[in-house]
Amino acid sequence: MNWKFGFSGMIAGALFCAATTSALAEDVVIKVWSRADRSGPLRAGNIVAAGDTLNKMLAAAGSDKRVKIELNETNAKGYDDDALDLLKAFAVDKGPDIFVLAHEWTGAFAEAGYALNLEDHITKNPELYGDIIVPLWQSVSYKGARYGVPQDSEVRMYFLNNDKLRKLGKTDKEIGAISARVDAGEFTAYDLCDLAGQAVAKGVTKFGILHRPNAGPDFQMMMEGFGNVPYDKAEAKLQASKAGMKDFFTWVKYCVDKKAFSSTNTAMSWDNIEQAAFAKEEALVFFHGVWRVTDQSKAWNLKGKEDYQKKITWINAPAGKKGGKPSNLSHPIAYAVSAKSKNKDLAAFLVGLASQPYVNTRHAVTTNHTPINYGQQAMPEVIEKGWALVAATPMLKYASFMPNSPKIGQYNSIVFKGIQGVETGRLSADAAATFVIDELGNELGKDVIIRN
Amino acid sequence: MPDHARAQARREWANFGLFLGPALLLLFVFFVAPIVIDLVLAFTDMGRTLAVGKFTFENFERMFTRDTRLLGALGVTFVFVLLTLGIFNVTFALMLALMTTAVPPRLGAFFRAVWLLPRMSPSVVYALLWLWVVDPNERGLLNQIVINVFDMPAIDLRNNHPLLLIILANGFIGASLGMLIFTSAIRSIPEHLFHAARVDGAGAFAIVRHITLPALRWPISYMTIHQSLSLLVSFEYILLITGGGPFYDTTVFSLYAYRRAFETGEYAYGAALSLILVVIGVVAALALWRLMDMKQLLQPPRIEVH
Amino acid sequence: MSAHDLVVDGGAPVRADWLALARRSWRRRVGGQSMLLAFLIVVSAPIVLPYFWMMVIAFTARTGGVGSDVLWTACAVIAPAVLIYSIVHMTVAAPRLRLIAGAILLVVVGGLLAALIGGRLHLDNFRFLWRADFVEEVRSKATSGAQFPSVWNAFFNSLLLAVAQTLIILTVSSLAGYYISRFAFRGRSAFLQGMLVLHAFPAMTLIIPIFMMLYWIGLLDTIAGVMLVLAAIELPFYVFVMKGFFDGVPWDIEMSAMTDGATRRQAFYMVVLPQVRFGLIAVAVFAFIRAWEEYIFVRTFLIENKNWVMSLYLFWVSDDVMGVDYGIVAAVAVFYVLPSFLLYIFCQKYLTQMTIGGIKG
Repeated sequence: MNWKFGFSGMIAGALFCAATTSALAEDVVIKVWSRADRSGPLRAGNIVAAGDTLNKMLAAAGSDKRVKIELNETNAKGYDDDALDLLKAFAVDKGPDIFVLAHEWTGAFAEAGYALNLEDHITKNPELYGDIIVPLWQSVSYKGARYGVPQDSEVRMYFLNNDKLRKLGKTDKEIGAISARVDAGEFTAYDLCDLAGQAVAKGVTKFGILHRPNAGPDFQMMMEGFGNVPYDKAEAKLQASKAGMKDFFTWVKYCVDKKAFSSTNTAMSWDNIEQAAFAKEEALVFFHGVWRVTDQSKAWNLKGKEDYQKKITWINAPAGKKGGKPSNLSHPIAYAVSAKSKNKDLAAFLVGLASQPYVNTRHAVTTNHTPINYGQQAMPEVIEKGWALVAATPMLKYASFMPNSPKIGQYNSIVFKGIQGVETGRLSADAAATFVIDELGNELGKDVIIRN
Repeated sequence: MPDHARAQARREWANFGLFLGPALLLLFVFFVAPIVIDLVLAFTDMGRTLAVGKFTFENFERMFTRDTRLLGALGVTFVFVLLTLGIFNVTFALMLALMTTAVPPRLGAFFRAVWLLPRMSPSVVYALLWLWVVDPNERGLLNQIVINVFDMPAIDLRNNHPLLLIILANGFIGASLGMLIFTSAIRSIPEHLFHAARVDGAGAFAIVRHITLPALRWPISYMTIHQSLSLLVSFEYILLITGGGPFYDTTVFSLYAYRRAFETGEYAYGAALSLILVVIGVVAALALWRLMDMKQLLQPPRIEVH
Repeated sequence: MSAHDLVVDGGAPVRADWLALARRSWRRRVGGQSMLLAFLIVVSAPIVLPYFWMMVIAFTARTGGVGSDVLWTACAVIAPAVLIYSIVHMTVAAPRLRLIAGAILLVVVGGLLAALIGGRLHLDNFRFLWRADFVEEVRSKATSGAQFPSVWNAFFNSLLLAVAQTLIILTVSSLAGYYISRFAFRGRSAFLQGMLVLHAFPAMTLIIPIFMMLYWIGLLDTIAGVMLVLAAIELPFYVFVMKGFFDGVPWDIEMSAMTDGATRRQAFYMVVLPQVRFGLIAVAVFAFIRAWEEYIFVRTFLIENKNWVMSLYLFWVSDDVMGVDYGIVAAVAVFYVLPSFLLYIFCQKYLTQMTIGGIKG
């Protein structure tokens, strides 16, 4: 055998191998972690779209490099469960490059060293982030730096079923006035329960008020009306007040006794709740966020704003006492980039691309979430399809965010158990307040300030 | 013969490694080592990021002085284990064994197969079926019967009688193991004893009382201990059906440890709580040990050739 | 003659008495057995009914609703048929007549069911098996659902997990069971005691330490990791079971093999192992079903959804994340249950031969 031939063959083979491996090596894999959430499939989908955009740019620039997005959608029950799973995954080096999280978890991920400080990236790329609504940044800031990019925002509210209110004997004028009376502090949380209890007692609806079945931000909005502020800004710590908790749980108990809250609510599945609240119209009041307009419009075949407002009234969470202030809560979902990622810059740019008006609007209008850019508010599509977002904006006057404390997830989980305890008749109002204060002390130790 | 002895010793070791090595390796890495790790974790502050910050007695201090739910969980466990065991895993299992051996063999086998269905079904499916059965609205299978047949209002077992629900759900599975073991025990009673008893004019109940039950004494004690132990530590069906709720009503101790660890990521505290179970488990295992047919188990092996 | 008469005269009443006795005892037996059977049917109905309900939902539900009328119609047809057959079975002794009666009933029931609910049956809920875009269909077009695991992905993961874990358990437990059944070695009784403690040990409480262990040896989030953990945790039980089977094999079998020149190891796998094949089958079935149904460990040890197994897939489908379509949930459940059931039905007769520490089960 001719050795030269063999040798050149070897060289060619080696070159070929090198060429193919380097071609493979040009595929940069970006892993994305997102909870499979029906109310926002495009949170992850927009990152995938950003990958496509970037690949087109790379192709145009003649580069062989390509981005491959590997999406891991999880089946956690809610954002809190999902965040715990994700923390665990990070702890064992199974973390993604980009992850979707509820904004109040940014603190936890920043503190653990898993979320990348994006301050530098954001300030250096104003062409990507310059139009984002300024107050939203607060939701992803922790200790003065931004660790995430808000992906959407929203408004929460009690949805009142007007048809059922009419059956209760309310006139259209009365119904139309409720929202303003809530904002003026005339219509209190107790009045709401009286109304809902009445509907159940008279057999107009099966449930009074239906709320989410698991821990989540909604309850903070309820609690605020009773003077519960979970965060002490000056001390930069979580806080809980014994008196505030007692007031809140006294109200919950009152609502339970009036049958405004159902003992089964926290055992129901989301599906049961949706069926009851929408298609079957078994609830007078449903408590969630503005993105539910999508489901409601579908369930009752409502066309546009006027049609919708004939059917549904929105109110803020009423104050606990007459003359008090109503409250609202905005709960942005955010993108974060892993501090452990090998491709931090690339991941950050993908987030930037996914935050641009066109893609973000796709998410906003299909699922009724508030857009993140100022400019989007003027887009014809938002104005046309996003009427609910425009209509809900005034409610944001009373809105706050959840604190970005690393332990807020635990805080919410404990409060939820207290609510579940009262609703299912396992705890009295006093016992629930004691339970929550005890558990907060036990679990959070010095991370929480207990006040009288 | 030193060479031969050495070869013999080598072969003994080789056999030991070949036959027992894989089992020892598996057990050590995935069973014994984790027990040791658990012991260590209980004295740390490991939280949701799995990082150990310091070694501490805090978990035990909290467990014994501040944990207000602990006693409740132990109480629920006690009631749950006692009732499930008493009603289903032993008593009802025994009834099933007696009855399925009293009817024609084919039919008996059929009913035993039916009772084994739950045990053969994946837990997620089994739990799903229970959720559909007790669904509180009128669509639930139980409520379809309650409303249409008995003309009563819909009932909500999950909220109003959660303990009963988990006892039923676990009992329907638990009864089958006892049923199988008691059936084989009954079958191994010599046939002539029954004939003799019938000739002496003994009725069915007398036969059960004087012949069958005495023969089952040992299997019954075994099942009692074995099943109380497995009921003590298994929480899968409870987790899937009630999640330990409403509130903490069906949170048995093992589920309590799991919830503490996985609901908020307090892994070290969960590990400390499970140590209690480990202690109970070892004590019960030793009790089982005394009950086991020791002579037979430890009987010297019959072939010594390597 | 008179003597003969006497016999006849005396015999007739005696014979009559015998017949009456036989009839009475037969009546009593039938009565007692009927009561037992009635009781067994009543207590077993709560088990059968939910499974039947699941089947009905899987094959008849359409999006947005589950019709319970199908369930009760079917029950109204099947329950009387079962009752009639039980009566026939109890009163007719001849197997052939029973068979004929059974066949007739089967045809009648089949005909009635086909006429009453046949039109409601459909396979649409099983479309997750063949529709590649199933996830996009049930969630929304917008999502990049193609990356969501298909049921076949989960199915083969489960199959891999169950089969490999079964093979590991068969190999390791028969090796160890044979060794402790046949060999004397130092620490044998300590080993046996240790195994007994492990057999009773609450392994469920070790989730966190095992999680750490898997991470340290690099097997977290792999099917292999779960498979080894499951095998280890179930191992003590199966070692005892296999020991019991080996104890039952007479030792002259391998002695004679060894006199014929076989080594100890050859004697083990050529002569003794075939003797315990029923034991191996029983162990295999239990081990397979156990791994096939696993939920808590896989939920904790598997992170990425490409590693999902059937239990996680079903959990995902039945969860609200995508809005529950009961028909599809039930269909997935039926699909998931099927392998366990088939295995169980075909191997049932081997399963009752297991012994542990002298206990049969």
